[in-house]
Amino acid sequence: MRDLNYRGQHLLDRRSFLNDMRFGMSGIALAQLLQADRLLGADIRGDTARTPLRPAIDPANPNAPRASHFAAKAKNVLVIFCAGACSQVDTFDYKPELIARHGQPMPGGEQLLTFQGQQGNLTKSPWEFKPRGESGKMVSELVPHLGELADDMCFIHSLTSKTNTHGPGENFMSTGFTLDGFPSIGAWVTYALGSENQELPAFVAIPDPRGTPQSSVNNWGPGFLPAAFQGTDFNASKPIRNLARPTNVSADTDLATRDFLQRLNERHLKRFPGDTELAARISSYELAAKMQLSVPEVSDISTEPAHVLKMYGADDTENDLKAAFARNCILARRLLEKGVRCVQLFNGSYQTGGEGTSNWDGHKVLHEQYSKHGPVLDQPAAALLKDLKQRGLLSETLVVWCTEFGRMPTFQKGASGRDHNPSGFTGWLAGAGVKAPFTYGATDEFSYKAVEDVSTVYDFHATILHLLGLDHERLTFYHNGIERRLTDVHGNVIADVLA
Amino acid sequence: MYRVKVDHASKLANPRLRRFALCLLAAFVLSTVVNRADNMARAADQESIDYERDIQPILQKNCLECHGPRKQESDFRVDLRSKLLRGGDFAEPAVIPGKGNESPLIKFVRGDAPDLIMPPEGNRLSDGEVKRLRAWIDEGAKMPEDSFAALTTDHWSFQPVQRPALPQVAGRTITNPIDAFVLTKLKAAGLKASPEADRATLVRRLYLVMHGLPPTPDEIEQFVADKNEQAYENLVEQVLKSPRYGERWAQHWLDLVRFGETHGFETNRERPNAWHYRDYVIQALNDDKPYDLFIKEQIAGDAIGADAATGFLVAGPYDLVKGQDPMLALTQRQDELADIINTTGTAFLGLTLGCARCHSHKFDPISQRDYYSIQAIFAGVQHADRAISPSKENERALAVATERVATLRRQFQNWMAEHGYRTAVNAAHNVETFPQTQARFVRFTVLATNGGQPCLDELEIFSGDRNVALAEIGAKASCSSELPGYDIHKLQHVNDGKYGNSRSWISNEAGAGWVEIELATTETIDRIEWARDREGRYKDRLATQYKIETAVEPGLWHSLVSSDDRLPYPQDTAISSVSFEGLPDDTAAVGKKLFGELSSAEQTREQLSKREMIYAGTFTQPGPTHRLYRGEPSAPREEVSPDALEVIGTLELERDSPEQQRRVAFANWVADPKNPLTARVMVNRIWQHHFGTGIVDTPSDFGANGTNPSHPELLDWLAAEFVSNDWSIKHIHRLILLSDTFRQANIPSPRAMNIDAGTRLLWRFPSRRLEAEAVRDCVLAVSGALDPRMGGPGFSGFEVEMENVRHYHPKQNFGPDDWRRMIYMTKVRQERDAVFGVFDCPDLSQVMPQRSRSTTPLQALNLFNSQFMLQQAELLAKRLEGERPDGREGQIKLAFWLCFGRDPRLEELAHARELVDRHGMVAMCRALLNANEFLFIP
Repeated sequence: MRDLNYRGQHLLDRRSFLNDMRFGMSGIALAQLLQADRLLGADIRGDTARTPLRPAIDPANPNAPRASHFAAKAKNVLVIFCAGACSQVDTFDYKPELIARHGQPMPGGEQLLTFQGQQGNLTKSPWEFKPRGESGKMVSELVPHLGELADDMCFIHSLTSKTNTHGPGENFMSTGFTLDGFPSIGAWVTYALGSENQELPAFVAIPDPRGTPQSSVNNWGPGFLPAAFQGTDFNASKPIRNLARPTNVSADTDLATRDFLQRLNERHLKRFPGDTELAARISSYELAAKMQLSVPEVSDISTEPAHVLKMYGADDTENDLKAAFARNCILARRLLEKGVRCVQLFNGSYQTGGEGTSNWDGHKVLHEQYSKHGPVLDQPAAALLKDLKQRGLLSETLVVWCTEFGRMPTFQKGASGRDHNPSGFTGWLAGAGVKAPFTYGATDEFSYKAVEDVSTVYDFHATILHLLGLDHERLTFYHNGIERRLTDVHGNVIADVLA
Repeated sequence: MYRVKVDHASKLANPRLRRFALCLLAAFVLSTVVNRADNMARAADQESIDYERDIQPILQKNCLECHGPRKQESDFRVDLRSKLLRGGDFAEPAVIPGKGNESPLIKFVRGDAPDLIMPPEGNRLSDGEVKRLRAWIDEGAKMPEDSFAALTTDHWSFQPVQRPALPQVAGRTITNPIDAFVLTKLKAAGLKASPEADRATLVRRLYLVMHGLPPTPDEIEQFVADKNEQAYENLVEQVLKSPRYGERWAQHWLDLVRFGETHGFETNRERPNAWHYRDYVIQALNDDKPYDLFIKEQIAGDAIGADAATGFLVAGPYDLVKGQDPMLALTQRQDELADIINTTGTAFLGLTLGCARCHSHKFDPISQRDYYSIQAIFAGVQHADRAISPSKENERALAVATERVATLRRQFQNWMAEHGYRTAVNAAHNVETFPQTQARFVRFTVLATNGGQPCLDELEIFSGDRNVALAEIGAKASCSSELPGYDIHKLQHVNDGKYGNSRSWISNEAGAGWVEIELATTETIDRIEWARDREGRYKDRLATQYKIETAVEPGLWHSLVSSDDRLPYPQDTAISSVSFEGLPDDTAAVGKKLFGELSSAEQTREQLSKREMIYAGTFTQPGPTHRLYRGEPSAPREEVSPDALEVIGTLELERDSPEQQRRVAFANWVADPKNPLTARVMVNRIWQHHFGTGIVDTPSDFGANGTNPSHPELLDWLAAEFVSNDWSIKHIHRLILLSDTFRQANIPSPRAMNIDAGTRLLWRFPSRRLEAEAVRDCVLAVSGALDPRMGGPGFSGFEVEMENVRHYHPKQNFGPDDWRRMIYMTKVRQERDAVFGVFDCPDLSQVMPQRSRSTTPLQALNLFNSQFMLQQAELLAKRLEGERPDGREGQIKLAFWLCFGRDPRLEELAHARELVDRHGMVAMCRALLNANEFLFIP
């Protein structure tokens, strides 16, 4: 077979030894045995060289926990992705000069062609900025609940993207490439680290209640990594496909069928002693059976007390969308609590019902649209952060807030909204290993271009991996002639934001 | 790497300086160098520059540590003229002789660009030194020449293929050369081949590997019982002849060329005409099209009568969303071309050409210039449907059909005229008469026109001599639509009593529309008059087919008259309906026959005149192609000619060569028997899909970063054999399938596992799980649901939500239309099939030369719980009951034969009986379809 670490032959040899002892031992027990000496599996060729560190994957349990490259504070990661390009100008990037020059043309702006065309005048945010927390960080009234938590956040105001189109922008932020078909952050992280919980998917993508984001499953796809590392998508209202026993099969019959299958497979395996792939399939059915119990349990938020529902806004009867997103936020917390390695939580879906209606793409009527989106995101996401903190989970969880790119400080010519702007935008980090409160990098006086400590999405990714104890230059997978990385051939860890 | 700001000043006295000094001591004495440099600064203005005296010391002092003989940062060194002129990684000349001011070397040392200042640390060059360097370049940058190093390589895959001698294996007569190579390696490793597999295993293996479908119980029994010495050989021939072979192996090729039937990216719109390429590949394999021709057709099939083949070029994703920003648009185009170049390089040559887009290849002899030369080959390729030019036969048939339509039409019209059909409509005036009828509402519906939206200048409805349709006497008009923007064509003109184009109604529907008049009161009417333009100036927009209905109560329409009893309008393209009412039966029969003949002749003509559209790209003459510094469209450098890889030869094309000629020349170069890569790469792929792993296990990277072949001589022998047998793929199949290596048993031995657990040396046949497509096909085959229909538009695994951005929702219910082989399932990028996608189906956006084979609980859930699988288990149970109505035991046995190709063992039979008795046959079928034995190639 093509082993996942195709040069790591030694592992196979060792595994064949283990397999001889396999009969009578469950897949889980074996996985633990493998895990105990997991360091042996890493393909280390030279100590400090920048050589690839391909994790050794046990085919019988591809998501068994694996050691990070170096000690890390963050064990798990939560990515909150605001689809549609959430405006930094109206949320976190405060610019007094923009307010002062409201209504005037932007210098050089007449010549500028952005995604949809020409620029109108500089336009301050319709939402007032106020100092928050002890740090006094200026955050707008669009997201007051998140603003309250400014002291826990590390803002990076100088992000830049390579594209100004949503699909490629989402791809870039989620996979490090503007093109389709590359592994997502979560796929890389679970490929590297596996998961602490074998009864839940290692990587869960929670789509917005309104649907999937614009680049859809590419945001959590495995690319060319093995399918074991793809994100499993479900949310509080839409369960995992094919998880439940078919309705027309009784529990009794289901169990008897499983038993029979198990006997067939074990008998068959006896003829092929040492075949790991056959053994892996047997244990995959055991894992699947466990997931059938554990996933519905973790998704059932009806057990949450009323005060928690209230804190997230899940009980909001006036705003169904907010309540639905709040339930997704609660699900995210429950998953992280159970040790799921990576949770990707989407706010905003694909374009439907017109531009900016279902996501943050406020080209034409920003005020009206953001007045809707702000409250959906704000209280639930803030509650999630608070909840993680009060349960002590934030000390081992990295929280990343991001979007595909930023928006212009001008309104579009003849419109009341902002066009795409990949030249400068904001993302923030919080939680394990992150310096907070802290602000890194800056855009120019209007929030148009990043000018100070200009950062790339590659840098952002390198930093995320670093916080999880992974060297972005060494975490690789060989595909089609190239030792692929999340960060391609770029990226520097932003050392200043590390605690 | 951490991002830290470097404080230059603090680095001056660090250990680097000491290393630097040591380095220099090897060749120079430090003090001499410095002193000489200072002295010469003064001399520079007066006399001409001498390299050794004036320049070398500057380079020594400032550059050589990182860009010299010991170390070449960015693959760049300053001590060779070739490197100075050619540049390093970025293939950017550092020195442009005669142009000191523009030479990057000067810009770097002068500090023009803040992000690229040389030297990066330590003292900068003095003004005098910069001035001197500049003067030297201005004078032509004279220095001792090294030979202008051409790209060369001694890497194995770039060397010519030479057919190796067959090794002798002691104590055995070898009939198949493959075995000679394999056995020799095994022996060297202290291993032995396994004995031949039993016949039941062999036939199952053969079918699963070659067809991706299991053999039927009859096929197994026949082979097992076949006493003919050539039984296996005959079976192999039979398997290679079956069209199921092309359907299985085409998928391997489609993976390799990232074939998809949607555009990908955020809109992910359909490509309804992309399937032609899939059919082309299946057909090519079934026909055993010589591989060199297969290559040429895919790169330049438009030149050699294989239009669908160029679907290869545009099989990849394409971003439909184009922004206004011109620089980002250029980047998008660069990405499109990179996709084509990359796929061409990996698929045919096993080279990662794409790596040379931003800088020369780090491992292989591929310069950045090479990359852009190849880009110039494909620069005229655009993503689009292409109308396929009709063949000569097609054109002839069309002429015949057109003639036949004309003849039949004349005949039919004569017949109509003879049997009292009314005259054809005309633009200036038409009168409809009918028996007196009560009417409150009259509706005139246009079904066809002689072009454009229909026009009526006036609709008159008569009761005796009185036009009761007039608005002025209280009649009200309404209509289906109104041509916007023209006051002269408003609805009100249809009953305003005024004639002519300037007071007429025109609908807003091409060839369709209706107008309705509500009379002031119910009237007895007997005549209707209408026209396009009673003034006689306009003859377009004429209703050629229409019907008129009346009603007394709203909505209760009765048909009154229509165009069905009229002669056809002369320019009408087709007569859609004719009324034969009121004619004697035998007369009507003659008319119907004539009309039937005419209609079918018209259909034939229409079919023949259709220009089929295929998603195979369009081609336009491109402008100049430039090398792009660091791959940035904003930094074009010198223009390049279309060309192949310098290290393997040149095409000698002019810069402005015609577009098609570029691709033809490149295709010929790829498919040249002397190209050292092409045959090696392909035989390795063929090998890979027999044994699960290639002889080179990095099948799309035969470069220095790929792995070495496990059996290099065997690889070369196969490559030589391939080329000398007219690039026949089936010849290579035959060689492999008939080898003892393929035929050996698959049982692991502990001893051999210790030496070679991955079975790379092939001491047994490596068993493995089937791919997604084969799993699905096998399920359908054993349940009996498989629909063997080949080719044509595919079936969809999704319900598609047709928004601007398409959304794909997995189908919940399945019927016979979904039960064709999976290669015919429309390939939606990003979205994998809901049940089988998790079995490592590629995402179709990136090429996939070798799929992973992972095992996950989601696979188990899908296979065990999905509606699709449960339905198949039910179908299988039904099949068993239908074919073995006499009892459970027979049914269980048949199920084992269908799924595993064998009888159940006693213990299995007992367990199965128990399960079936208590939980039904479906439960057992569900288990069998989930069993390892069912899903693995034995």
